[in-house]
Formats: sequence, structure tokens, C-alpha cells
Amino acid sequence: MRIKGKSVCGGMAEGDALVSKMPISFTGGVDPDTGRVREPNHDLEGQSIAGKILVFPAGKGSTTGSWQFYATCKRGNAPKGIINLKAEGVVAVSAIITGTPMMHQLENNPLECISTGDFVRINADEGYIEVEKKG
Amino acid sequence: MKLSQREEDLLDGKQGPGAKKAMEILVAYGEACDAERMIPIISTHMAGNYSVLMDEGVEWLEELAQGGTKVSVFTTKNPEQFDFDDADELKVPMFYQEVQKRIDRVLRSLGVTLTYSCHHYLVGNLPRLGDHIAWASSGSQVYANSVIGARSNRDGDHVVLAAAIAGVIPEWGLHLTENRKGQVLVDAGGLDFGSMTTADFQALGWSLGKVVADKTPVFANLPSDLTIQNIKGLLYTLTVTGSVGLVHLVGITPEAKTVEAAFGGDVKPVFTISAKPENIEKAYKEISSSRETKVDLVIFGCPQCTVQEVQEIAELLEGQKVNSETRLWICTSQWVKTLSKRMGLYEIIKKAGGRIVADTGAACGPYRYLPELGVRVVAINSARGNYYAHNVTGMDTWFGSTQELVRTAVSGRWEGRS
Repeated sequence: MRIKGKSVCGGMAEGDALVSKMPISFTGGVDPDTGRVREPNHDLEGQSIAGKILVFPAGKGSTTGSWQFYATCKRGNAPKGIINLKAEGVVAVSAIITGTPMMHQLENNPLECISTGDFVRINADEGYIEVEKKG
Repeated sequence: MKLSQREEDLLDGKQGPGAKKAMEILVAYGEACDAERMIPIISTHMAGNYSVLMDEGVEWLEELAQGGTKVSVFTTKNPEQFDFDDADELKVPMFYQEVQKRIDRVLRSLGVTLTYSCHHYLVGNLPRLGDHIAWASSGSQVYANSVIGARSNRDGDHVVLAAAIAGVIPEWGLHLTENRKGQVLVDAGGLDFGSMTTADFQALGWSLGKVVADKTPVFANLPSDLTIQNIKGLLYTLTVTGSVGLVHLVGITPEAKTVEAAFGGDVKPVFTISAKPENIEKAYKEISSSRETKVDLVIFGCPQCTVQEVQEIAELLEGQKVNSETRLWICTSQWVKTLSKRMGLYEIIKKAGGRIVADTGAACGPYRYLPELGVRVVAINSARGNYYAHNVTGMDTWFGSTQELVRTAVSGRWEGRS
């Protein structure tokens, strides 16, 4: 399945999807040393975002999140690519400073048509993603 | 986004890699925020200290500064972790002193003015009504919009630095007049302002922030002679439990001479709240996170204390002694520390066993190393300070008034509400 969308940061990435229905804060919400989500009661609590195609509605919380995302990336624990419903400033800037391919405003709702474990290819240079449903 | 020729040139790298990186950040941010163009700015303020930057953040700054990248706009910097003049005396571990030297060096090379203060608007970074600016730190931003009348969104440090280098910022949000209209009416007429402490103003902000959420509130029936300390108490705390960037204080905010002006004409609030004394009392219990009555550190200054606040603490403390098992710190800027020496306040506080600590603040600056010195339970006269010290650096915190904190410092045990 191919879905068109807008690119926030160009580049290509592919990997297993990790999907959250909840906004994410990179300050306090994710441990830069492990990539694990540590926000209590988050739907990804305890799961690692490292090496995934991370799909979530949008960022939230402190604007220092871009510093924390940068450290997470340098420690090898960042996602390979990001898909948001609608990007906000903190995550958009995080993607740009780390060169993480990022898309948003897709033609179909990514939270509905992508499930955790699906294989996702992001082509943010040409403005589309491809989803292979698992199993 | 539609870019000017100059902006296109920056993006193409014609002014060097630092300016290219800055423009890339601004374009991505602008497109995510649906901005149509860039607008010039005249003032910027950077927030993050080592707690959030970590080693990688310092390296990012060093990379940005390579090739002589400089800010083109007057830029000041929020507090760091310790008082540079007294670092050895305060037993700040060498690791933190060394990393601070790197931060100093790279910020100076970028052309950032090293204020290490969160009352930068009291010491030189003072825009005017209608100016477009980029101030990181939610407290500074809400002060700029609500008291000064300058226009800033809630920008993070990467955006602020990029804007400082490029001299422009995407035009969206609170830069646009149509987004500055009031949305919620807060009737403050039921409060007894004469009896309220600065801590009460913060407790009120804590309580109302949760109700206001991300709407722009209009406070009506406020006395027009509120002190700057009380205005800051209310505004800075509203941004902790809510995500407001602009608060119309009718009679104080330059754009809110009347309730009608605050709403941009028709007074059509989404909803109306009546502020009540009960709101204040309930918030005190929520703000404190500690159960431990023995207090290791009593700390003032989030945002950093004004000279009036230092004076108040000195008067309360004069002739008393801080408990031998408790520390008392007053966090402020270097110039308020200097003023305090000149006014004899520094000596009074020192004689009582307390200290004035510059270049840091009571929110999270010193808490990376203070636990190494045995500090665990902290009393802070700031609701915002309680929130960040507990949630970012894991301290046990108590919230109370300046008077309650001074009593606590003397007895060594928590003397406020519990």
C-alpha cells in the first residue's frame, strides 16, 4: 500500500513500525540511554523506539525535547523514521537536526492504516510511504 | 513557504554552513506550523542548560559555531548550574565545572551575551510593544507577550538559535494579531488581593492553568498596582499546568486596556471562570511532592530573585541563624548579587548562614550535582521550581511562601502547609 503525504525532513528509511495513539514528549518521556518510553501510562511505556519507524499523532511537552532527541539519536537509540498525523515544532526540528526522514499529513490516517510490526518504507524525498502488513 | 532572495541564499549555504543549518531549521519549523513567510526579529533568548543539553547538545553547539557562525540579533542566555565565582567553595564537582567552561566558550564564540539569567528583561534584553522576538522558556515567553507586549511563540532553543543567526522567524501563532485575542474570561473580583502572598498568586496560577489549558485567558477585575513579583508568580505558574503563551491582565497588559480590547472587540469568551480563594488553598497541597519534614535545602528564585525579593528575605532573616543541617540559597543574577553586596544585604544573609548564589535558578540548574552533596529534600518558594525540580531531576520538594521558607531554614523542619 502506497500513501502520499508531505515531507518534513527528506531522506529514505525502512523498518518495523511502532505505532502510538498518544502524543510523545522527548524530554522526560523517552530515556536517551535506552530509547525506552518512560512516561507512566503512555501506550508505549516500556517499549523502545530505537530503530523503528515511529508513528504517532504529534509531539507534546517541553521545547527542550529537541535537545533530548538529539542525544537519543547520538546514543543510537532514535527511530529510523518518523510519521506524524500533523507535525508540530519540537518534533519537526528534532528530525531536521538529526536528518531523520519524517512525513506528515498523509492522504490516509497513518494511525489507522499502520499497525505495530508492519514493515514501512518512507521516501520523504518523493513524498510517500509504503506499508507491508505483517503476516 | 515563500522565501526572500536573502533567505534563499542563506538556505543555499552562500553565508556558510551555520547559516544554512539555521535556515533549514526555520523552514522545517515554518512549514510544520503552516507559516507563509519569515519576518525579522529583534531579540532572542536561549534557555537550555547542561541538564537538558547533555554532552551531545554541547557538541551540537560546537559544530554549529565552526566556521565562525554568529548570531545577528541580540541574544541572552538563561541560568546555568552554579555560581561561577563560588564554584569551588560550593563544592561543585570538577566535571560540571569543566563542561560549563565548554558551554561558556561556544556561546561566546556564537556571540551570545552570557547573562545566565531568567530576568534578562530586567538587565538589558528589553523589547517594546509589537516587537517580534524569539524567547525560549515558557515563563519568559508569557512575560514578553503579557507584560511587555512583544510577540513570541513557544520556541525551543534550536529555533531560537536559528532565528538569532538568520535574523528571521516563521510568521505564525502569536506573531499574528488575529491569534492574540482573548478566549476565556477569568473574573478575579472575588479574591482578597490585599492579603495574598506571592506564593498565593502562584497557587492561583497553578489551579487556573489546568482549567485554561491552551486557551488565551483574560483576567478582569485585577488591581492595577500588582507588584512585578506577583505578576510573575501568576504568569509563570499558568504555563506549568496550562500551555498558555499570552495572558491578558486587563489594565496591565499593553494590548488589554479594557476587557473589550483584550477580546479584540466582541467579548465572546469560550467559557468564564470565577477565581476563588478555595482554588489557592487546594493548589498548595498538589504542588508539594515531599512527605519528609527534615529539609536539606531552602532555595529561593524561580524565576531568579529580584533585588526586592532579596531585600525581603534579608529582612526576615536578620538576627537569626540558619539551622546547621540546612542550607539556604537565594538564586539570582550576577548584577542583583552585586547590588545586594552594595546594599549590605549580602552580609546580612551571610551572617545568618545563608548565601546568594548567582548564575543559577531554583528550577533544575543545581540538582544534577546537589544530590552528590547530600541534598535530597528541598523547599522552594516557587511552584514552577517544585514542578521541574521534582519531575526533571527527581528532588523531594515543598512549596510555601517566603516567610514559611525562612522559618523552615531556621528550624531545619518544614514549617509550611502539609
